[in-house]
Amino acid sequence: MSNKELTFQKIAIAIAFSPRCEAMVAEAKLLQQTFNSQLVFAHVGKKSLQEEQYLKHLIHRFNLEGNATSIIWEEGDPVEKILQICQEHKIDLLVAGALEKEGIIKHFFGGISRQLSRKAKCSMLMLTEPKIHPTGFKHLVVEGTDHPKTEYTIAKAVEIARAFRSISIDIIQESDESKLALIRSEEFKEKEADDHKEALHKEEDEKLEEILRCTDCGELIINTERIEGKPGYVISKFSRDKEADLLILNSPDKPMNLLDRVFPHDIEYALSDLPCNLLIIHTKDSD
Amino acid sequence: MSVLSHSENISVILSIGLMLIAARLFGEFFRKLKMPLVVGELIAGVVLGPSLLGYFYPNISTIIFTQNDHAAIALSGIINISIIMLLFVAGMELNLSLIRQQGKAAFSTSVFGLIIPLAMGFAIGYFGYNLFGENSTDKIAFALFIGTSMAISALPVIARTLLDLNLFRTKVGSIIITAAMFNDLIGWILFSVIIGMLKGSAHHSLLFTLFYTIGYALIMLTVGRFFIDKSMPWAEKNFSWPGGFLSLSLGLAFLGAAFTEYIGLHAIFGAFIIGIAIGDSVHVTEKMKDNVSQFVTNIFAPLFFVSIGFKVNFVNHFDLQITLLVLILAIVGKISGAYLGAKLGGLSNKESLAIGFGLNARGAMEIILAILALQAKLIGEDLFVAIVIMAVVTSVLAGPMLNWLLKPKANSIETN
Repeated sequence: MSNKELTFQKIAIAIAFSPRCEAMVAEAKLLQQTFNSQLVFAHVGKKSLQEEQYLKHLIHRFNLEGNATSIIWEEGDPVEKILQICQEHKIDLLVAGALEKEGIIKHFFGGISRQLSRKAKCSMLMLTEPKIHPTGFKHLVVEGTDHPKTEYTIAKAVEIARAFRSISIDIIQESDESKLALIRSEEFKEKEADDHKEALHKEEDEKLEEILRCTDCGELIINTERIEGKPGYVISKFSRDKEADLLILNSPDKPMNLLDRVFPHDIEYALSDLPCNLLIIHTKDSD
Repeated sequence: MSVLSHSENISVILSIGLMLIAARLFGEFFRKLKMPLVVGELIAGVVLGPSLLGYFYPNISTIIFTQNDHAAIALSGIINISIIMLLFVAGMELNLSLIRQQGKAAFSTSVFGLIIPLAMGFAIGYFGYNLFGENSTDKIAFALFIGTSMAISALPVIARTLLDLNLFRTKVGSIIITAAMFNDLIGWILFSVIIGMLKGSAHHSLLFTLFYTIGYALIMLTVGRFFIDKSMPWAEKNFSWPGGFLSLSLGLAFLGAAFTEYIGLHAIFGAFIIGIAIGDSVHVTEKMKDNVSQFVTNIFAPLFFVSIGFKVNFVNHFDLQITLLVLILAIVGKISGAYLGAKLGGLSNKESLAIGFGLNARGAMEIILAILALQAKLIGEDLFVAIVIMAVVTSVLAGPMLNWLLKPKANSIETN
């Protein structure tokens, strides 16, 4: 793919000065190189000379100095400030480190990166294991559910897969049969119910085929698979079983809150136990 | 330990066999007429019970539905268990995440589709108490029941109609399904409060009933649901599966039912909430739910619906005035509420009206609600008959009305 297409023109990296800080900068470098993007390193917290020097040292070490890189220091609520930075700097992709799983209290009240993922108005990449020598994303799993956002998500996923020369890309159609089950038990003969189910699946398959026909996939080999079960959980489990290194999902249709964690659905299943790195794609007009 | 005698044993077994066959024959006949199976099952009871066959040939009628003292008690026990299992399955069909995900239109339809019929039912039940015949003297509980019975919707009937009309995946279809689920959830919680009020009036106040109902629902749907979800993989690994799921899920349903009955609520509420908690587990597949559902809806549900016709004489207790009042109240309340909600959610006039008619179908859930109210002596037999007729009429009406309002545009309606 041509880097000039700029999949992500401006990338913000939330820096926390944790032991993974160096790896986060290394990952940022790879993203910058791959997508020819501008980088914004954002840290919320009191500015200390030691931290400032350390970040400058890392930027220097990874050859990121120059016009394409900027550093922003802010004080205040980390989530609010980072969201504000994203909005003010028209960020296309926000990158943050994230633990695979958080403790129960933190899960319900939300760690910083998960809070960001629920509120961000731009796409967000959550890296579970950032590496000092990053290798990109080789095995991608992408949401292929019948939804207006899916077309854009698949297009972005294909761009990313081509940019990283990924080995495999699996598009998963999650089939929530719970609505169909309402009629299966009482009113339909088994064959009738199966016929209805098949017709609905066929309609979805045709839509997905149409999306893929219209997407420039190049040499990429794309597998599509339909799995029955709860949306969000099913794709998460598939990613874990397949040892994927990037799961790509549509952004939620509305802001998630505590109730969505108490009664989880869709993306919350993935957030509760990240199977791998997670990329949430926001369509440009979803704001 | 006392046991059923040889002849009593035969009576119970014979009754079950005959009721199941009659229910299937009538059910299939009405299904061919494009009506819900439950209508046929209900009419089987009316035709074979005291209303018709029993009136002319009482001996034959009592063979089908035994009146033998001990055998009748045994059969009544089986039918009570049937209601508990039916509500458990209804709970499993509720999709909590679908309710949580609902957008603006579905939310306003859910809320107005619930509040308007509830308020209208309550007001007319309270101020027009005498219009409904002989019922419980507890006017508030009675009025609350009328409101609740007007607020409930029948999911299976609606789902079938939407599929038949190719509207299942449209925006209208999704709103109807989500709103019906929301109305059912709130409706059964309200009904549990009403039954608790009646049962518990001697033991605890309304406040305690509310506390128990909401407390039980909250704990089971959060902590209970969490533990059920976490224990499913362990059970799957260690038990024979899906047989193990059948016994485990029904076992939990009965435990929940026993608990709510013990604390002064109705047993069905315990089973309903356990059904939601189990159905929401990510480890429970539709296939597993289907196994339980087939078992319950094809064996226990027909027994329950046929038995209704044997318990009440539909001819003697048919009151045109009460029936018309209930029918008008149900149709006007539900359609106006859902219409208003859908309009506020940004839907067109026709779509909003179609949503109103879709949600207007009451079906089996309404009948269960009515029989429980009858058993609790909350309503009299005249009102019971009127509610059953209303449930049948609104269910039969939903399909043709949706067809009339949306069919020409079915393919052009925005898909979800």
